[in-house]
Amino acid sequence: MRSQVAIVGYGRTPYSRAKPGEPVRTVDEYIAWAAELALARAGMSKNDFDGQGLGVAHAEVAHTVNWSAATAEVLGISPQVLLRADQGGASASSMLIRAAAMIHAGIVDRVLVVGADTPLNMPSVAPGLPLSPERTRGVFWDFQGPFGVMGASAQFALIYARYRHEHRVTDEQMARIAVNTRFHASLNEGAIYRTPFTVDDYLGSRMLSDPIRLLDCVPIVNGGLAYVVTSAETARSLTDRPVYLRGFGEINNYYHGSRSRPDVTYTGFVRSGPQAMAMAGVDHDAIDLFNPYDDYPFIAAMTIEDHGFCRKGEGGRFVEERNLRFDGDFPLLTDGGQLSGGQPGGAIGGFMPLVETVTQLRGEAGARQVPGARTGIACGFGGIPYGRPGRSCISLVLSTEP
Amino acid sequence: MATSAQGKPLPAITDLTRPFWTAAREGRLLLQRCSRCGTFNFHPKPWCIECGCRDMPWTEASGRGTVYAHTISRSVAMNHPGWQADLPVLMTLIDLDEGPRLYGQVIGCAPEALHIGLRVQACFEPISDEAGIPKFRPLAEG
Repeated sequence: MRSQVAIVGYGRTPYSRAKPGEPVRTVDEYIAWAAELALARAGMSKNDFDGQGLGVAHAEVAHTVNWSAATAEVLGISPQVLLRADQGGASASSMLIRAAAMIHAGIVDRVLVVGADTPLNMPSVAPGLPLSPERTRGVFWDFQGPFGVMGASAQFALIYARYRHEHRVTDEQMARIAVNTRFHASLNEGAIYRTPFTVDDYLGSRMLSDPIRLLDCVPIVNGGLAYVVTSAETARSLTDRPVYLRGFGEINNYYHGSRSRPDVTYTGFVRSGPQAMAMAGVDHDAIDLFNPYDDYPFIAAMTIEDHGFCRKGEGGRFVEERNLRFDGDFPLLTDGGQLSGGQPGGAIGGFMPLVETVTQLRGEAGARQVPGARTGIACGFGGIPYGRPGRSCISLVLSTEP
Repeated sequence: MATSAQGKPLPAITDLTRPFWTAAREGRLLLQRCSRCGTFNFHPKPWCIECGCRDMPWTEASGRGTVYAHTISRSVAMNHPGWQADLPVLMTLIDLDEGPRLYGQVIGCAPEALHIGLRVQACFEPISDEAGIPKFRPLAEG
């Protein structure tokens, strides 16, 4: 299935921190807004998706059992195929793989994929605990909340602590990743926090859950994103700059080692990364930019390692030795990532690495444009399993060359 | 989502999970042990995550384990405000001697004394008339 489909349009709405006086928009509004932007870039209209495909990512806000069909109704589209992803931050990339399979099988020719969330509009019982079923119901909550687990920052702090214990990784090295996202955000009008900070600012930021600091965390925002994927043939008739899905890899609920006592310093990217690169027929030198799912800087470092850019445990040294800027030798998180760009809910942030990589490969990234970018990797990383990082890991090799 | 008198979350107890909560209320740690492959499962599962066997009788565990990872939560986040009074919360992942790994709060330990490899022993705290939770204290070495 190498390069059988291509992305021909993408959209990312402005994000909102829901400050007083800002318009309060619903998920439906953000979805329509993101879809409008993506369709405009593709030179298509919503009616081009009647009898075709519509993909909808789940959202944290309450939604119906028939969420994807309800979204089709809201948008006035009558698709033959509905995709609904419930893989958290891997939802956007998983729908690209599902859409590619549908297109490759000849069932549809094109799919509009949308996602939005408004976590800041939800009532919360405490900071970061919106009253959604995702957060406060089910066996995972029952064996964490009452035990005193303070959500993602504590869950990932435990992983980070073990990572620092097993490998020679320092906070100063992780700071470089965070600082680099803010530098790229300063070049991206769409990023929510754009004022650069230094390594010392990072190290001096408030400790939330050792060793996780405030500047390790993503700012939550409201917003939406979308993209359009078509057969390669249709793509070439629509644009002279199609971005091909050249390779992909996916693994869900990965355990490194035993299920009882897995090594949590590895992610499922050790499977999905090599799988995607082998399918694409590319080696590491061919990768012009790398956009991991940066829910925390150390996760970006682990993702670099697990894709084989360096040996396990040397991700810290790697980011120290390489120039991570858009014009450097390892452009990383070129839009500012979620760390500085904002996370529109845990389910939607995964659109960002994909949309940014497409933006770069089309040469439309403006002040942060990676010179001569031809091939990039975008990652999806979704869900927080009990005592481990990342339920779903997806690697995508996107390229201007089929 | 029920809340305790202390403003902390209470679990939604099901027939599957009740033995764990009741035992912890009485000061014992019960785990499901697979009758086919012997794997101890935690948290409670509908079948064994190793072999898929649905027969997993509740079995008393020693409550002893080793700290696999630790953090010090300095503020309440994504949890109920009742935890504020307990800050800082020393949260760990513990490898129980019987096999499974679980989240557990360590008490009776200075934050600077908490380290990977620390041996711990479960103690129990009632959180409602129906349920208790295990917490962990450092185990005297030797």
